[in-house]
Amino acid sequence: MDYVSPIDERVRQPEPLAVRTGGIEGKTVALLDISKNRGAEFLDRLELHLRSHGAKTLRFSKSSFSRPASADLIEEIALHADLAVEALAD
Amino acid sequence: MFSVGVGSVELSLAGIDGGVYRLGELLDERERVLLLFAHSECPTSMLALERLGPLGPALRTGGVRLVCVVQEPLETAARLARQHRVEALVVAERPPYEAARRFEVESVPTMILLARDGSASGSVVGWSVDALNELLPIRVPDEEPRWKPGCEARPAHDAHRPGPTADSFDELEDMFERGWSDGLPVVPPSADRVAAMLANRDPDRSLGAVPPALGEATFERVAACAVLAGCKPAYFPVVLAAVEAMLDPAFNLHGQAVTTSPPGQIVIVNGPVRRALGLNSGMGALGPGCRPNLTIGRAVRLVVQLTGGGVAGGLDRATLGHHGKITFCLAENEEASPWQPLSVERGFPAGTSTVTLVAGDAPLSVSDHRSKTPRELAATIGWAAAATWSPFWWPLDATSLFILGGEHVQLFAEAGWSKADVRNAIYEQVRRPARELRHGETTPLVQTADPETLIPKWDDPERIAIVVAGGEAGRFSAVCGPSLGMGANTITREVQWTT
Repeated sequence: MDYVSPIDERVRQPEPLAVRTGGIEGKTVALLDISKNRGAEFLDRLELHLRSHGAKTLRFSKSSFSRPASADLIEEIALHADLAVEALAD
Repeated sequence: MFSVGVGSVELSLAGIDGGVYRLGELLDERERVLLLFAHSECPTSMLALERLGPLGPALRTGGVRLVCVVQEPLETAARLARQHRVEALVVAERPPYEAARRFEVESVPTMILLARDGSASGSVVGWSVDALNELLPIRVPDEEPRWKPGCEARPAHDAHRPGPTADSFDELEDMFERGWSDGLPVVPPSADRVAAMLANRDPDRSLGAVPPALGEATFERVAACAVLAGCKPAYFPVVLAAVEAMLDPAFNLHGQAVTTSPPGQIVIVNGPVRRALGLNSGMGALGPGCRPNLTIGRAVRLVVQLTGGGVAGGLDRATLGHHGKITFCLAENEEASPWQPLSVERGFPAGTSTVTLVAGDAPLSVSDHRSKTPRELAATIGWAAAATWSPFWWPLDATSLFILGGEHVQLFAEAGWSKADVRNAIYEQVRRPARELRHGETTPLVQTADPETLIPKWDDPERIAIVVAGGEAGRFSAVCGPSLGMGANTITREVQWTT
């Protein structure tokens, strides 16, 4: 039987992982707050640990946890940071 | 015992992988071939497929290539392969069953081991663990039943059965196996049915990418979802308008589709299209029994699940979900309403057919057969919503949908109340002191306010949406809690529809 698929059958190629940095000393870590309750607290603690291990940190935030990060935000993080941590919350 | 020389067997059989295989070509110098003949109406055949099928890779490691010759149409062969997790070549054999005749297969299952020169080095008829262990280089599962007699192979089997039994392919089961379902049976989206749904619309026109997996909502795919849902072609304009509304970025379908919270998408239909299509806005307006309501709502949700990839337990991470995420479409009972319909409130001219998408939770019924004044009644209905989302999360910053039944509306109308009066009365009355709300999950406002400050359940009366639906008798209304945290705006679109 010849059916019409309700599914978008196009196969998306997975994006390759970025090259691993091998460590955090001297690297810049982006900390992305998704704007969910207490996410910033988690990132505050993480930031202290990262800095104590020689990493530099940059803070970013999404306007809403329920929407994907904008392309501009992703580009800015990629431009300025070597690593990124996105905090979930609740 | 028969023998088939390499190249002498010209039989061609269609594989479920789309290939066409000649038996002679399957034999090469490196491997022997194990032919497994089976058909779906034989329980022993199914046992053999279930036990041997997954062993394909292990057999191949032992130098034996498993080839399942299924005496069924290709679709059925494919279904059986999926069902029994067969990891081997599966070919379909149709009448006159030439392969079975050549190999003198009179019953199924029959397993024939062909040597590299094509000669049969042994065979097992029916299921026998001991005989197979002797025949094969690996051991088969030592599970009961260890021995089971087979059944007649297709030619004899079909000859003894009245009626057309050969085509046992079950379309409905096939839909489940493809994952083209919300858990209930669907109507298979054949090319003819989808073409009828499209009715000369451009199949490639797109309404946009459907979150969360961003599958493109072409008219054709939306039509396939409408067919699957059981829609008549006449309903399709409503489905298209609803999908268009749902994909408005301001609706934030992405957040709704992946959230752990339960709410789904509620479709509200206004205007003449309701009567033309037979949507039920009266007795049992939220309940079972009305095809347009149920199938339009279902089509919209199938677009999210299938085209958008928002499958429960997959990208849809809802902890509980609710049945309204299968289908939730209602029509406003404009005829029983003393007020402007929702469509007019939302800026469309009277008489325009529209769909409005609200992000909302399951309906909570509210009974009030005793209130004598509109203020009392508004309080009852409003306080029912006090526990929605969370009993201490005040105020809500998202839309709650109130669905008012006929007798409740009548009481408001007789008192001369407008919809705005009802909305404001709910907003003004449903308030609690901050100190009573300081439990568990609550808001920053509750935490920081003076303990005696009265906190409203909603941060703005406009969060209270009101529609009229239901039968004339019975003092019941309902409220659908919000889809909190999504920033989901209510969206309305005109239905491009003609009689």
